Order: sequence, then structure tokens, then C-alpha cells
Amino acid sequence: MAEENSSKEISSSQGGLFWLTAGTMLAALIAIYVWVPTEKNEGIIQRVMYFHIPCAWLAFFAFFIVFVSSILFLWKKEREWDIYAHCSAEIGVIFCSLVLITGPIWARPVWGVWWVWDARLTSTLVLWLIYVAYLMLRGQTEAGSIRARYSAVVGIVGFLDIPLIHFSVLWWRTFHPKPKVISSEGLGKGMDPSMLITLGISLAAFTLLYCLLMGRRVALERTKDEIDRLKREKLYSS
Amino acid sequence: MQGYFNQIFAIVWKDFLTERKTRELFSSMFVFAVLVIIIFIFSVDLSITRANEVGPGVMWVAIFFSGAIGLNRSFMLEKENGCMQGLLLTPADRTAIYFGKLISNLGFLTLMEAFILPVFMVFFNIDILPHLFPLLLVIFLGTLGFCAIGTLLASLAANLKTRDIMLPILLYPLMVPIAIASVRMTGEILAGEPLSEMLNWMGLVVCFDFIFIGAAVMTIDHILEE
Repeated sequence: MAEENSSKEISSSQGGLFWLTAGTMLAALIAIYVWVPTEKNEGIIQRVMYFHIPCAWLAFFAFFIVFVSSILFLWKKEREWDIYAHCSAEIGVIFCSLVLITGPIWARPVWGVWWVWDARLTSTLVLWLIYVAYLMLRGQTEAGSIRARYSAVVGIVGFLDIPLIHFSVLWWRTFHPKPKVISSEGLGKGMDPSMLITLGISLAAFTLLYCLLMGRRVALERTKDEIDRLKREKLYSS
Repeated sequence: MQGYFNQIFAIVWKDFLTERKTRELFSSMFVFAVLVIIIFIFSVDLSITRANEVGPGVMWVAIFFSGAIGLNRSFMLEKENGCMQGLLLTPADRTAIYFGKLISNLGFLTLMEAFILPVFMVFFNIDILPHLFPLLLVIFLGTLGFCAIGTLLASLAANLKTRDIMLPILLYPLMVPIAIASVRMTGEILAGEPLSEMLNWMGLVVCFDFIFIGAAVMTIDHILEE
């Protein structure tokens, strides 16, 4: 009975989060397509930025959560942290893929090429490869303590590698526009206020989306565990 | 402390003895590296491009590819006949096992490089002798970083069913910084630049080495746990 109540509570709080995310997402869409003025130089294609940057932010944030959960798992050895790392890595890879897809769509009309071997593009691609390998590792090991420990180690090592990858490809070559949102002149000086507000709404919408997806995915993984447990119980009792 | 070094030395010695008896690892690594260089020479037209520009990349690709074979092999041997079990049952510290394996992998790969460098010099017609000292330093630092992360991942991949595929898939994206820095530095050295011109790259590689040896020391307990 108590379990039923708690599962209902989870679903109702998820419901609240769902409507909040949907509302913010709608506001972001209206802001992007109706409210914000078109950029002067790049034209309509510049609006892809309001998806590109939030996806990138979300991917990095998700990988950071993988890192933190992996450390906490190795420290506390609780299944809970393993679930968080796994779910966050999946979401991170999806949004990292979206960054790699929206990037060329934006680059083609603006730079004239789909892809350049620029620092940020290269490091995002390498990051994507690392976490795809992480998910492959998870897929190839059987569920249990070994899988959790191994993937935690890769989750930690992968994130530690990010600054090194960043500097190596930065010195290698770079074309990407200098960061405009957080520039040396101060926060948001490189952009029109309306564009900044739109980007802010979009970032908020994507962050909420992460929380929503994460909640759903974690609940799914817990259900899987529960089913496994029940299966084993029935198998041995009969 | 003395005991700890003895443990490391015992593991390294064991690996070298096994290699001296079987002679499997070194020959396969060396032949494979030569083949990689030859395939690259066939696929890149050296009459168009300058050997100095392509050479360092080809050399490092050969080192990394044959290095992955060596890493895979070093833990595969332990898996056979349950040697790993025996190694874990000894009172040796887990980090001593890591360092022992790291040193023996580093040793085999360095030995292989000592043979591959003359081959590289001949095939690409590059005179490396005037730049030998800085070149050896760069090769050593790059190889150390490769082995530091490689030994950690190989110890992990050894327990997977698909270890042959999983080790390169895990290893290559993680060693991108080492690959870029080593190729860059080797190219600049062969072009006659002094080491002081590439201190940032040098710093990056040294950081890489330290970070991943440190990360391995901290996490190896969780991998070598049966």
C-alpha cells in the first residue's frame, strides 16, 4: 500500500514537471519563431542557435552528472548512483547527437561548409565518441556490480579527459565564433537583449526537459530492477 | 616501500620472462607496425606531399595501432589459465599490479619503437639523427600517456566478452589529446624547431600522463576486484 502511494506521488510530481516543461517549451517556441527579430547578417538560419546552444549545454550538463554519479557510485556502492549515471549518459548522447546535427545545418549557409575541423566541433565529436563507447560498454556487460564499476571508471576517466581534449584541439586549430553570450566584455554584451531573453527561455525549457526525461528514465530503470527481482523471487520459490 | 617496488619488479620480470619464452607479442607488434607504415605509404602519394608533413602522423598511427595489440595481449595472457586469479590472490597491492603492467607494456612498446624508428627513417627518407634527443623525449612522454590510460582500460576490457573490439573503441577517443600533441611535436621537431618552442604541448602531455596515472591508481581497486 505504501509503495502504491509513493509511486502515485512520483507520478503526480512528474505530472507537474511535465506541464511546466510543456509550458516553457511552448513559450520558447513562440519566442523563437514569433517574438525575436531575425538576425541581420545571418538571416533566418540564425534561429537554430536557440536549439543548438541549449542542446550543447544539456549534453555537457548530462555528462557532468555522469561524472558526479560515477564518483558517488564508487564511493558508496549504491545501485541508485549507477542508475543516475546510466540514464544521464543516454540523455547526454542524444543531445550531443542533436548538437552535431544542428551544427552543420547552421554552418552550411553561414560558413559555406558542413563541417570544419574547428576546436569546438572536434571536441564535441570526440566527446560523443567517448560516451557512445561508454554506452556500448554498458551494453556489452551483464547487469550487476561489474558493469556498474567498469562504467563508473570510464565515466570518470572520460570526463577528466574533457579539459585535455579541449586544449589540444584548441591549439590544433579554431574557427568557431568566439563565445558571444559570456564574452570578455561582460555577460551578454555581444547580443541583443531580446535574443538573450529568448535564449534564456530556451535554456530553461531544455533544462526542465532534462529533469523530466531523467525522472522518467530513472523510473523505468527502477521498474526493470523490480521486475528482475520479482522474476528471481518467483523462479526460486517455485 | 621496498616491498612495494619488489612487487612491481616481480610482475615486470614475469612479463618479460613470458615474452622471452613465447616471443609472440614483440614480433606481432613489430610486423603489424611495419605493415601499417607500408599501407600508409601506398595510400598517400609521397611524391606530392612532403614526407616531413605526413611522416609523424603515420609513425604515431603505427605506434598506437600496434600498441593496442600489445595492451590487449598483456591482459589476455593473464586471463588464460586463470593467471589473473593467481595474481589477485598474491598479497600484492592492486596499484602494484597496475604499475607492473604499465611498466612492462611501456617496455615492450618502447622496444618496438626502437626498431620502428629506423624503418620509419629509411622509408620516409627523414634524417632523425640530428634531432634524436628531443624526439626520444617526445616519444617517451607520448608512449607513457598511451600506456597509462591503455593499461587501465585493458585491465577493464579483459573481462569483457568482446575485449578485442571494446579496447580500441574505449581507448582511441580518450587518447585524442596525446595523439594530437605527439604528432604535432614530432612534426615540429623534425622541422628543426627547438623543444622550448612547444612547451604548451609538452605541458599538455605531462598533464595527461599525471592525470591518468593518478586516475588509474584511484580506480584500479574497483576494476581488479573479483
